Amino acid sequence: MSDSTPSFESVLAAVRAAGDAASLRALEREQLGKEGPIAALLASIPTLPPESRKEAGQRANRMKSELAAAVAERLQQLEEAQLAAERSGAGFDATLPAARVERGSLHPLTQVTRELEDLFTSMGYTVLDGPEVELDWYNFEALNIPRDHPARDMQDTFRCDPAGNVVLRPHTSPVQVRAMERMRPPFRAIAPGKVFRQESTDASHEHTFHQMEGLVVGKDISVGHLIGAMKTLLRGVFGREIEIRLRPGYFPFVEPGFELDARCPFCKSGCRVCKQSTWIELLPCGMVHPNVLRAGNIDPAEWSGFAFGLGLSRLVMLRHGIDDVRHLLSGDVRFLEQFR
Amino acid sequence: MKISYRWLGRHVDLSGISPQRVVEDLTLSTCEVESLTPFLPHLANIVVGHVLTRAKHPDADKLSVCSVDCGEGTARQIVCGAPNVDAGQMVAVALPGVELPGDFRIKKSKIRGVESDGMICSERELGLGDEHNGIWVLPETLKPGAKLADAMDLSDWVIEIDNKSLTHRPDLWGHRGFAAEIAAMHLRPLKPLETSLPPTGNGPTVPVRIESQACTRYLALRLEGVQARRSPDWLRALLFAVDQRPIDLLVDLSNFVMLDLGQPNHVFDATRLDASGITVRNARAEERFRTLDGVERRLEPSDLLIASGDKAVALAGIMGGEDSKVEAGTQSLLLEVASFHFATVRRTAARLALRTDSSTRFEKNLDPTLPLRAAGHYVRLLAQLEPGLRLPAPLCDAGEWKDPARVIELSCERVRSLLGVELADVHIADILMRLGFGVKGSSGTLYVSVPSARATKDIGIDSDLIEEVGRIHRYGNIPEARITAPIAPPPRDEGWQRRMLVRTLQDRLAGAARFHETLSYSFVSDAILAELGATEERHVAVINPIAEGFSKIRRHVMPSLLATLAHNRRMAGEVRLFEIGKGYQPEYSSTRGEPREVHELSLVWAGPVPAKGARFDAGRFSQLQGVLEDLVRATGRQSLSWSAPDPASLPSWAHPGRALVGRAGEGDALVTLAALEPRLAARLGLKDELASDVALAELSLDVLLGAEAAGPRYRPLPVFPAVKVDVAVAAPRERSAGELAAVLTRAGKGLVRDLELFDLYEGEKLGAGRRSHAWHVTLVSDERTLGEEDIGKFFQRAEREFTQLGAELRKG
Repeated sequence: MSDSTPSFESVLAAVRAAGDAASLRALEREQLGKEGPIAALLASIPTLPPESRKEAGQRANRMKSELAAAVAERLQQLEEAQLAAERSGAGFDATLPAARVERGSLHPLTQVTRELEDLFTSMGYTVLDGPEVELDWYNFEALNIPRDHPARDMQDTFRCDPAGNVVLRPHTSPVQVRAMERMRPPFRAIAPGKVFRQESTDASHEHTFHQMEGLVVGKDISVGHLIGAMKTLLRGVFGREIEIRLRPGYFPFVEPGFELDARCPFCKSGCRVCKQSTWIELLPCGMVHPNVLRAGNIDPAEWSGFAFGLGLSRLVMLRHGIDDVRHLLSGDVRFLEQFR
Repeated sequence: MKISYRWLGRHVDLSGISPQRVVEDLTLSTCEVESLTPFLPHLANIVVGHVLTRAKHPDADKLSVCSVDCGEGTARQIVCGAPNVDAGQMVAVALPGVELPGDFRIKKSKIRGVESDGMICSERELGLGDEHNGIWVLPETLKPGAKLADAMDLSDWVIEIDNKSLTHRPDLWGHRGFAAEIAAMHLRPLKPLETSLPPTGNGPTVPVRIESQACTRYLALRLEGVQARRSPDWLRALLFAVDQRPIDLLVDLSNFVMLDLGQPNHVFDATRLDASGITVRNARAEERFRTLDGVERRLEPSDLLIASGDKAVALAGIMGGEDSKVEAGTQSLLLEVASFHFATVRRTAARLALRTDSSTRFEKNLDPTLPLRAAGHYVRLLAQLEPGLRLPAPLCDAGEWKDPARVIELSCERVRSLLGVELADVHIADILMRLGFGVKGSSGTLYVSVPSARATKDIGIDSDLIEEVGRIHRYGNIPEARITAPIAPPPRDEGWQRRMLVRTLQDRLAGAARFHETLSYSFVSDAILAELGATEERHVAVINPIAEGFSKIRRHVMPSLLATLAHNRRMAGEVRLFEIGKGYQPEYSSTRGEPREVHELSLVWAGPVPAKGARFDAGRFSQLQGVLEDLVRATGRQSLSWSAPDPASLPSWAHPGRALVGRAGEGDALVTLAALEPRLAARLGLKDELASDVALAELSLDVLLGAEAAGPRYRPLPVFPAVKVDVAVAAPRERSAGELAAVLTRAGKGLVRDLELFDLYEGEKLGAGRRSHAWHVTLVSDERTLGEEDIGKFFQRAEREFTQLGAELRKG
């Protein structure tokens, strides 16, 4: 070997000091390649005197394997260093914003209605639908509210003809007798939907809103069963036990009739939502009046039942803290997109 | 309705029962209480003052400077402007710091240079009347410095009841009814009330003729020697507490009896009635009558009148007449206490929009035995206050009425079973007796006699009695129970299927398609119908709309979405909205009168007009078409096939030249897809900076529900690799993409698995009237790997057919 070629030790040192995989590979090719010094050394062996060929061959092969090992070792060191650098998280900004996933939204009334439908169907209730434009018969007469009954004033009803034969239903209760016409007892049903009241609107009053009727008819259905069903409903809606109270309430289609109050879920000692009373008036309910059962061709001596009317719009407002009922049906995208 | 706590105390001993407790009891057992408020709370801070001296104000003629002993040791100097103030009077004094109604705070001040250390009050200033001619002069027996509320017995609490919760309780329209409730709950007796009529003279009774069945009882009694004087302070205060303005003794007592017992009644000035007496009759057609509020009313034959001679004197059960009302000089009264038919009163009051305290009570169907007690109550109260009262003739009690009292058979087992609580028979009987029912019977069956006050309407069947037991036992004492019954999954009927379809559509749209769901009013405004040119279409409409031009119920969902479109475009650049709802079509009404109900999904997609050079399918029309295809696929129906509709059959919002109708299999059109009718854009406000690219679609849920199901079918995975080639064709513009694609399909001879149009281009390079179409074509064989030769043959066949269509394959 001439003096101009670097010593084997300096080549080894260069391998061990290589700064990155690319320069290491270059060095490997230069030293171990077909044109490299070791190849040259091996090629020169046949020109050596026979007695020194063996030793020269062994030496060249030792150099070759030593060098290859050094390269492999250095390569591994470099890879590990690179992995360590990567894993150190250098350059990672934990505060960068997430990529946006664009989505549409379901109306909050749809969301709460679905939850309730799922809750009630899991308990054997059938989900029913009823017309918004309703006959006086289902809306009043069959519900034990004859003409000239003062209870006709209890909801201000939109009438579609002067005789009042067709109305916009002011509650979901007309579905009760429609349900009895379709199903034979025992049965359980709910009927969510739109209802209408002829009253002026403000932040807490709307002429159109959503309700859900519930109706259970069976043998020996009692007030106790109604209380049980209402507590289950509230557990489902609020995800925990909610204290309730029943107090007398007058609705001609139930007897006895109740107002159900729920202990305010938002406070302990009175707040704006419960008007400082710690109770929220949540839903009217009661035991189905015998006349209503009769209107649905069900014998009140054999069967009894309970019914309730839950304000879905009100529930949505309570749940999301919505302060103006008029947003619900406004069709304003800025409102709707909040419920993704 | 307002109830006075003090007034209740006239009928039941309230010791140990606070106003708050009364409210709680009523709430849990009787009715809905809206509020409990102290009556004129500021009265607690007003003191009795003794005017020691009065002198004229040095600088003002009408003012007096008084020295007033307010029980403080030294007298206060108070300037007073009332003409009637004088030395020696006991007066009501508001001291500095006291607040009076109307945010009026009394301060020590100087009036025309003279210091005034308080105010001597009139009744009006205290909130106790309209009297403002002078200060309120109190009885001389009062002690200076005493609190006025105590000294005059004015402290009270006002309980406001929600009237709706009393709709079924004619017995609760007076204080005695409420007192009976409290008495029953607290096991206390009601205080006795003497209401028998005192002896009368033997003169001729007032002749009463009843010509209408709407009057079942009419009591008439002459009272002489009366004066329309000021009522005593206790009476005035009670009336004030319940918002009844005191007028004079004769009228105040009439109101008091109504508010005490719940029985309306009327007093006429007898001298202004005809000697022939009283006739109860229906109004004549076009008859007019001036009620005592001074308004002339046009009557109808269904209205019931009280007439005297040929003149009407009262609208029965609603309001008296102006001409016969009691006035300052009245000395002779005719007292009317009657039973009028609830529906007659209700109809007339409703039609005339004249709801009075009287009509509100009559329409509840009052106890027909009550008039006699009410008449006696009036006479006895008046006799105590009017020593000169004379009753010249016996009472006239006319009419045919039936005592509604009845007996109801009640099974104690049914009480327990309906309430869901164990109650002993004796406990049930005890509750009913406390409420005034008579109870007989044993071994589980009770015979309950219902007193007339409860029998007119409220209590008619056993369920009504069960409610009585439940509310007094309190519903809070009933344990929660679980229903046990066999259950089966709900039937997979049309309603269930529709609900499942709706959920699929909602989820798909709110998900990848990024639509927002909205819900709208069912009302559709005349304004939007006019914009849409749909005014002539038939609509269900209400006759008592919330506002002019807002009476119609939508036939379809789409107008609701269009009504908010401009607003939403302004607020959000890109608007994707859908609504699933109902429309009503009256021309298809059922025999019973129910209009046909249609269920629809409507979609609106609007945004800025796409930039020039955007991909051919970047517009909302193409995008929405894709969404619709995906939706229908998601519901497990056959893929949509599109066709051009007859423009005449399109809805008015649809662009007649850019519309498609989609079907899933055979049958009715399922979807209408269109760009917005160009004439509508400006009318809807979509102009200038809001100029929009708008696509609209309406999908019939009813048709979708009826469409045959066709879920995805598995096909074996390909064994041989697919070959993908791009094909570009320049064709005359009238050649449709569908026509050209069909060429490719045929050319593939069954090998074409997918065709995706990815470019449309028109430009000078192609020559006028020509358009270039470019597809990605996927070819697969089930038998072998396709080679160059197969592809070459595919191109040859395609080229041959394209040439016949005047089109050519583009190379490159």
